[in-house]
Amino acid sequence: MSPYLMLTLVFIFCVGVRVRGCFRRWRQPLLRGPEWFFNVQVKPDFYNGAGRATLQRYRAIMLLPVAVEALLAVAIFFSGRLIYLSLLIIAISGVIHINHLFNVERAERKARNFAEPEAGQPVSAMVLSLTPRRLSDYSNPWAERFIVLVSLAAFAWLLRYYLHSNGTLSSRVVFGLPVLLLYNQMGFLFVKYGIVAWRMPIPQAQAEEHLRAREEARKLHLKVCDWCRILITLELASFATVLTIAPALRPKVITGYWVMLFAGVGVLAVRHEKGRLAVVKANLRARPMKMPDFFHVESSARLLCYQPATPMLLIKGAHGYALNLANRLTQLGAAYLAGLIALFAILRMGH
Amino acid sequence: MFLTIHTNDDRPIYQQVVDGIKELIARGELAEGTPLPPVRQLAADLGVNLNTIAAAYRELQKDGLITVRHGSGSVVASRTTTERDRSELLRPLRAALTELVLAGLKPSRILKIVVQELRLVTKGNR
Repeated sequence: MSPYLMLTLVFIFCVGVRVRGCFRRWRQPLLRGPEWFFNVQVKPDFYNGAGRATLQRYRAIMLLPVAVEALLAVAIFFSGRLIYLSLLIIAISGVIHINHLFNVERAERKARNFAEPEAGQPVSAMVLSLTPRRLSDYSNPWAERFIVLVSLAAFAWLLRYYLHSNGTLSSRVVFGLPVLLLYNQMGFLFVKYGIVAWRMPIPQAQAEEHLRAREEARKLHLKVCDWCRILITLELASFATVLTIAPALRPKVITGYWVMLFAGVGVLAVRHEKGRLAVVKANLRARPMKMPDFFHVESSARLLCYQPATPMLLIKGAHGYALNLANRLTQLGAAYLAGLIALFAILRMGH
Repeated sequence: MFLTIHTNDDRPIYQQVVDGIKELIARGELAEGTPLPPVRQLAADLGVNLNTIAAAYRELQKDGLITVRHGSGSVVASRTTTERDRSELLRPLRAALTELVLAGLKPSRILKIVVQELRLVTKGNR
């Protein structure tokens, strides 16, 4: 199987995922029924008046990244530089998620102008879970052992191969990709830490339902992170295998790896869809409620702010949300990105 | 294990956290050695300043109800480690009893109320 054929297959798979996502996001505002717009309870005539335009605008903005991707993909196919397809898939995946977050936030803000008056009142009591949330509580020990052992074995195998090459091999060729994969592994651990630390305000009414909905969502996201980490580990192991075996065997091993990868990703996609539906069901059981604002401090900053006493990552401001630079997650994220840039620079310069 | 915070309560939030945790300890729902969430987690969930929860934990620590271990978080302390003397503990009870007497309640009625409240505090049948 040629690399271009593999990339084309990956792209076709991603197109399927994108189409599914578009259908899902298309229906999302009306999931709770016609008297709701996402989590905002609107007046009965909302969709006959201003709501129609808000809904149409939400859907148009939602489709925008996919349209851009389609145009760029056509351009890439015509240019014949299919290697850019992988970059396009990764970049547009990120753009779709970020665009969706801002799009939903903007659409809900618009819809709140037409919300039922009582829906805008914050709840008078909320509950706090006194159970500590730790990363270790959400980790599967078998998956962790597998990741550590396979990664160590792959690195040991590569080190042995490098030492036996008597300097004929570049360290960048042998260790470049594995180090990047390991760094990605760290990135997913960081994302897991962020998901576990993400705040969980629960209203007193329907506390159990709200808690269950949030826990379901948290567990699904953490599971997806673990699947990605396992796939990265398998990629590391397959790289070590392909590099160290006889060149004649490489095409067969690579084809076998890709077939297994496709099958594995297909199974995971089905499992993810089942998990996502469970999250949606749990969410629908919990009626959305406006939480009280105890903090009473609104950041006037547009995108960034620095508030050390505030534990939140995002602080509500006059112009939407501002990223709190004093938050540990922001600082870790910035350090991670700086490390990634430095790693790329070192790998480009190194022998 | 839940702690309820009311927005229309006259008590400040840190006091509600202190009282809520005290109630849970008194009812035995938070047993000795039970780990409590970090200050950052509670403050983020509630959406309050870190100092609000830190002040609540400090007060609980001062009362000998929790032990703060740097690096490993806070845990519910052993009940025998409470070092407050008897007169200090009786002061709020005496004040409350005075209020009830001044309100014109008979001693037998007050005794009934005290027994009832004690049952509620220790069993949590609210």
